[in-house]
Amino acid sequence: MLSTKIFFNNRLKTLLVLAGLAGAVVALRLADIQLLRHEHYLHLAEQNRTQVLYQTAPRGRILTADGQAVAANAPSFNLYYLSAGPKDENYLKRLAADFAPRLQMEEKALLAQLHKGVRSGKALALAENLSPKTAVTLQELLLYYPGVYLVEENKRVYPYGSFASHLVGYLGSMEGKEWKNRDLSLDYRLNAKVGKNGLEKKFEKELKGRDGGVYLEVDYRGRVKRVIEDRKWRSGNDVYLTLNFNLQQAAEKGLKNSKTGRGAAVAMDPRTGAILALATAPAFDPSMFVPYSDEPEVKSRKISEYNLAVQGIYPPASTFKIITAIAAIEKGGFDPKKVIGCPGHYDAGSRVFRCWSTHGPVDFFEGMAGSCDVYFYTIAAQMGPAAIEKVQRMFQFGQPTGVDLPGEKSGNLYGPTKRARNRSYWFIGDTLNLSIGQGELLVTPIKMAQFASAVASKGKVWKPYYLDKVVHSQSGKILKESASEQIGSVDIAPSTWDLLFKALKHTVDTGTAARVKIKGLDVYGKTGTAQNPHGADHGWFMAFAGKEGQEPEIAVAVFVEFGEGGSSAAGPIAREMLKAYFGIEDPVWKPRPKPVVAPTPAVQEPEKETEKQPVAAPSAGAPQPPATPQPETNETERMSLPEPPPAHTQEEKVQETGNAQ
Amino acid sequence: MMNYKSNLRKSKMDWLLLGAMAGLAVMGALCIMSAVNALSLSNAVVRTHLIALPIGLTAFLAAWSFNYQIFDEQWKPLYGVIMALLVGVLIFGTYQRGSKSWFVLPFFSMQPAELCRVLTILVAAAFLDRQGRRIRDVRTLVLLGVLVGPIFGLIMMQPDFSSIVITFPALVVLLFCAGINVFFLALVAVFAAVAGFFTIAWTYLYLHPALQEYTLLKIFYNLGSSPFYMAGFVLLVALGGYVAWWIFKQLRIFLPSFYFVLATLVVVAGFFAGVFVDHQMKPYQRKRVEAFLAPQSDPQGASYNVLQAQIAMGSGGVLGKGLFSGTQSRLGFVPEKHTDFILAVVGEELGLCGTLLVLGLYLLILWRIAAVAYLASDRYGYLVCSGIFGMFLTYMLINFGMLIGLFPVAGIPLPFISYGGSNLVSSMLALGVVQSVYARRITSA
Repeated sequence: MLSTKIFFNNRLKTLLVLAGLAGAVVALRLADIQLLRHEHYLHLAEQNRTQVLYQTAPRGRILTADGQAVAANAPSFNLYYLSAGPKDENYLKRLAADFAPRLQMEEKALLAQLHKGVRSGKALALAENLSPKTAVTLQELLLYYPGVYLVEENKRVYPYGSFASHLVGYLGSMEGKEWKNRDLSLDYRLNAKVGKNGLEKKFEKELKGRDGGVYLEVDYRGRVKRVIEDRKWRSGNDVYLTLNFNLQQAAEKGLKNSKTGRGAAVAMDPRTGAILALATAPAFDPSMFVPYSDEPEVKSRKISEYNLAVQGIYPPASTFKIITAIAAIEKGGFDPKKVIGCPGHYDAGSRVFRCWSTHGPVDFFEGMAGSCDVYFYTIAAQMGPAAIEKVQRMFQFGQPTGVDLPGEKSGNLYGPTKRARNRSYWFIGDTLNLSIGQGELLVTPIKMAQFASAVASKGKVWKPYYLDKVVHSQSGKILKESASEQIGSVDIAPSTWDLLFKALKHTVDTGTAARVKIKGLDVYGKTGTAQNPHGADHGWFMAFAGKEGQEPEIAVAVFVEFGEGGSSAAGPIAREMLKAYFGIEDPVWKPRPKPVVAPTPAVQEPEKETEKQPVAAPSAGAPQPPATPQPETNETERMSLPEPPPAHTQEEKVQETGNAQ
Repeated sequence: MMNYKSNLRKSKMDWLLLGAMAGLAVMGALCIMSAVNALSLSNAVVRTHLIALPIGLTAFLAAWSFNYQIFDEQWKPLYGVIMALLVGVLIFGTYQRGSKSWFVLPFFSMQPAELCRVLTILVAAAFLDRQGRRIRDVRTLVLLGVLVGPIFGLIMMQPDFSSIVITFPALVVLLFCAGINVFFLALVAVFAAVAGFFTIAWTYLYLHPALQEYTLLKIFYNLGSSPFYMAGFVLLVALGGYVAWWIFKQLRIFLPSFYFVLATLVVVAGFFAGVFVDHQMKPYQRKRVEAFLAPQSDPQGASYNVLQAQIAMGSGGVLGKGLFSGTQSRLGFVPEKHTDFILAVVGEELGLCGTLLVLGLYLLILWRIAAVAYLASDRYGYLVCSGIFGMFLTYMLINFGMLIGLFPVAGIPLPFISYGGSNLVSSMLALGVVQSVYARRITSA
C-alpha cells in the first residue's frame, strides 16, 4: 500500500511543480503588463474614459510694424448640452425657453433635442457655428444652466486677402506621418491645421496655441458621467513684421495694376536693413486654404507659390550704371564735366553698339539722367571691366542677400575674373554690355533692393530681415527679436558718393526717373529696362528717398516682368510706394497718364528742365504736352544687341582681364 | 510552542487551506462590490453573493464534518443524482444566454453543472479506486469513458462548453494521478487534440474564405457537413491505422495490434467530437475562438474584451487605483467584469500586488490540496484530492491564461473571487471534501 502511494504521490508532485512553474510564468507576464507597460496602458485607459469637446486655440497673429493684423482669427461657438448635470423636466423646459430665442430656434425643437441628449446620455451639440455676438448673449445664461457648455473654435482669417501672401504663407492639413513628428508638448490634434508655407510654417511653433476643451468622463457607450475639467485655450504668440502696412499695400496694388500684373517690389530701410515691403505678383489669397473642408476642388486649387521677389533673376539693366559710374570715379582722373557726344551708337571696331536714343553731347549728370548708353560705353572702355567687377563684388552681386526666405537665388556676377575662372574669353563687347548691366548679369528684386539701400546708406550692405519681434500672447514679453546685421560695406570716397547722389537726384529731377519726383522729398532713382530676347523687356526701377535735406530712410526696388519700360511700368509703382511711406497725398496724379492729361503744377518744374536738355528728350518721364502721344514707348531704352558673344573679328578677342583699349 | 505545534498537527482542519480560501473570498466580495458599483442591479448582485457566501460556508463545513468515504461507498446513488440533475435541467431548466443550464427557483437560481463537476470527480475517483491494480488496463479507461460520457453528453446538450473545459482536464489529472498507463493518457490527449484541432481549423477556414480556393482545404472544410464525407474520413483513418500496423510489422517492431485499433478509434472519436462541438457552437463562442486566433484583427470586436481587460490591469500598475476607483471597470469598458473578468478588476484596483496575491493564494491552495492528498489515509482520499487539485489547477491556468492572452476567452469564473453562487458553493464544497480528507488523515507518531 505504501509503495504504490509513493509512486502516486510522485505524479501529483510533478503536477504541483508544473503548476508552480506555470504560476511563475503568469507572474512574469503580470509584471510585464502591470509594471513595465503600466504607462502605456494607463494612457489607453485615460483615452478610453475621456472625451474632449475641443476648443481650438487662436493661432498667434501676424502683424505689420504699424500694428495691422494681416493674419488673425475668427472665433465661432458651438453650444453643447451634457446630460451629466440636472435633467429633470422642469429644468429642461426652462432651459429651452431661455435658449431658444437666442439661438433663433423653435422652443419645441430645442426641447426635443434636449430629450434626445438625456436619452442617449452623450454630449449633444445644440447649435453650431454661433457668432461671437450670440455667444455673448448666451454667456450670462450659462451661469444658471450647469449642463450647458459653450465651446469656442478659432479659424484663421486673413483680413487683407493676398496681403504679403508669399511671405505670410498658408495653412493646411497634416499629412501622413507629419502628426507623429510634431512636438508633443503642443498637443496637435489629428485634424489640426498647420503652417504649410511662409511664416505660417516658419513660426509654427510660436504661432501654435494650446487647445483647451471640456474634458468629459464617459463610459463605454460614450455616455457622459461628469465633467473633469473645463480648460481654457491659450493663444499662440504674435509675430510682428517690419513691413509697413500702407507701403506694402501700395506696392501690391501697383503691381497688380501694372501692365502685366507680374513682378515684385521690395522696400528696405537703408538705416537698418529692415524690409518695409516685400510684394510679389501674382499673389494668392491664403484664406482659400483655410476652409475646413476636404473638397478635392479646394485641395487641388493651383496657386502661384513662386516668389518672384527672391526667386526671379533678371539682368539689372541701366540701374547697373550706378556701379559703372562708381568704378569710373574711383579709378581716378574722372571728370564729370567732360562731355561725350552720343550719336546714337558706339563704334566698337568691328561692331556697332547702339544707344537707346540719340542724346548728343552729354556730361556725367546728363548721361546718368538720360541713361545714355554711349556715355557709359565710353567710360567703361576707358577704364576696363576689372574695376567694374571690383565694385560689383563690393555690393556682393552674385551672392544671395541672406534674407531668411526659402529658395533665394544668388543671381550671377559678371566680369572678367569670373569669366577667366570658367576658362573662357572676355571680349570688348562684354565690357560694353557689362557697363550697362546687360549680358550675363542677373539679380533678384530683393538683391536690387539691397543694392539700392546700400547706395542710399552710402555703402552699408545689410542683410535684409522681415521679423520685428515675437511677442508672448499673455505676458506681452518679447520672445524673439531681430537685430540688423551688416554683411558688407562699399568703401569708396565720400566725394564719390556725393557725385553719385547728385547724379541720381538729377535723374529724378530731370531725367528718366522723373516719375518719382515728389514734392517735399529728396528722391534719388534710376530706371532700367532689361532686354529680353524672348519677349517684351522687363522694367526696373530703383529709388531711395528721405525728407528734404535729410538722410534717405527708404530704398525701393520695383520690377515688372515684361513691363517694357522701367520708367513707365515700374516708376508709378515706386512713386506710389514712396508716397504711401511718407504719407503724401497727391490726388491729381494718375498712375498711367493718358495722352490727354493736363500738366499738373507739381510737374511744372521738371518740364522746364527737360527743355534744357541738349537733345530733345522725350525720354524724360515728365508728362508731355497733350499732343505728344505715348511717352512710355519713347522711354524704352534700347540697348546693345541681345545676341550672345558672336565675336566675328579677332581684334575683339581679348584675353581675360586684358583691357579692351 | 511545542504544545501549539502538536495541537496544529492534531488539528482537524487545515488552517492554511481555510485561510487561503477565506482570503480569496474576502477579496472576491470586495471586488464584486466595486465592479458592480455602477450597475443598476448592483444591489441584487451583491446581495446574491453575500447570501451565497454563508451557503457555501455551510456546504464547506458539512463536507468537512462528513466522512468523505461515504462518497466512495455510495458512488452509484451519487451518479444517479448527477444524471437526475442534468436531465432535470434539460427538462425544467431555463435558457440564459442561449444555454439551458439554469434551475430557476423562487428565491434563487442554480447551475447544476457546477455541482455536478465536483460530484463527477467524487464518482470518478470512487470508480478508479475500485479498479485496484487493473488501473493500467485499457478496460478501466473505456469503462470510465462509458461512465462519464453521458455526463459530458448531457452537458453538451445544454450546451455548456465552459463546464467541460474545466471538468475534462480535472478528470485527466485524476487519471494521471491514479497511475493510468501514460500511453492511454496520451490517447485521451490525442482525442482532445483531434476534437480541438477540427474545431479550430474549421473556424480558421471559416474566417479565411480565400483559403478554400485550395481543393484539399475545401474538402477538409466540408468533412463534417455530410454523412458521405464523414464515412469517407472514417474509412481513410481506418486504412491509415491498418497501413501503420502493416509498416510496423514489416519493420519487425511488434506492438499489440489493439494499440492500432485504439489509436484509430480515438482519432475517429475525436473527429466526431469535433463535428459535434462545431455544430453546437454559438456565434459568440465562435467569435471568441476567432478573437483568439487573430487577436489584433478588430480591436472593437471580439478581442475587444481581452484588450480592455489588459488595459484595466496594466493601468492599475503596482498598487492599483484603489478599490471602487477603477475607471475601466466602473465605466463599463471591461465586460463581464464581476464574473469572467474579475481578475481585471483586481488588477486595476489592487494592482500587481492584488493579482500576485490571488495567484499566490491559488498556488497555496494547490499546494495544500496536494499535501492533503499525500496525507490521505486511503487511496480514495488521495484520488479525490487529485481530482480537486486538477479542477483548481485548470481554473487558475485558464483564468490567468485568458487574461494574459494565452487562452481564448472561455467564460470561466475564478472560484471564490468571481460572482456566481453555484460556482462559489460547489468550490467551497470541494475544499470541504479536501478538509474532510485532512481531518481523517494518517496521524503519524
